[in-house]
Amino acid sequence: MFADGLFLGFAVLAVLGAAGLILFRHPMNGAMSFVVTLIALAGLYALLSAKLIFALQLIVYAGAIMSLIVFIIMFLNIQPSDLPKEETKLLYIIGSLIAVFPIGMFLVKIVKSLPKSSTEIIGNNFGGVKQVGLLLFKDWLVPFEIVSILLLVSLIGAVILAGKREAVK
Amino acid sequence: MIHNYLFLSIILFCLGIVGVISRRNVFTVFMSIELMLNAANLAFVAFSRIHQSMDGHVLAMMVMAVAAAEAALALAVVILLHKHKSKLDTNVFSLLKG
Repeated sequence: MFADGLFLGFAVLAVLGAAGLILFRHPMNGAMSFVVTLIALAGLYALLSAKLIFALQLIVYAGAIMSLIVFIIMFLNIQPSDLPKEETKLLYIIGSLIAVFPIGMFLVKIVKSLPKSSTEIIGNNFGGVKQVGLLLFKDWLVPFEIVSILLLVSLIGAVILAGKREAVK
Repeated sequence: MIHNYLFLSIILFCLGIVGVISRRNVFTVFMSIELMLNAANLAFVAFSRIHQSMDGHVLAMMVMAVAAAEAALALAVVILLHKHKSKLDTNVFSLLKG
């Protein structure tokens, strides 16, 4: 019962944060409301007994990636006059909601066909660091190495893209 | 009920699509893409709870790493475009349009 209440609270927070991200005009407000969504999602991961993902969501997503985004937004020093004029924003939002609605109903139909299963928090170190780490380094070793190469490539790419000074002048 | 988690994931994913389609601010579009990745993560974790296997957790970690790589590259591109055009409007960034 308590977990259901927690789920409801986190779900409402997540949806409100996402709606705020879409509706706020300034990207800084949007980023702050997106952080609310990310933290609520971390709570949902904890309810799904994914302990490692819960910690990683807070540290990597809400901590590292969002602070990078917020840092860049502050670095560019965006004035309200720099923002694009979006007079038809609400119209576009309503139109895209209508366009997305069939996709959502299709997915809902798929989910409804799944067998029911409970969400009680399970022990046995399910989702702990040791278990996920063993799985990661046994069954998922090749994807793990590929992801590390991807991170290296993106590091080099970011340095080459943003690091040039004389080319801009 | 595990279905509620999947419904929430669908809602977040659809909101992300709406953000990408309807907004013109580069940062908002970028964060909407991140929102879609997070919705996929939630679905991964929920499915791994259904089957009580931790493969979904590993996949969620991979998605986080890809999101970090994407954030680094996309923000570098945004900085470059802002230097050139000093605008944040996606309609201005139509350099590839012949």
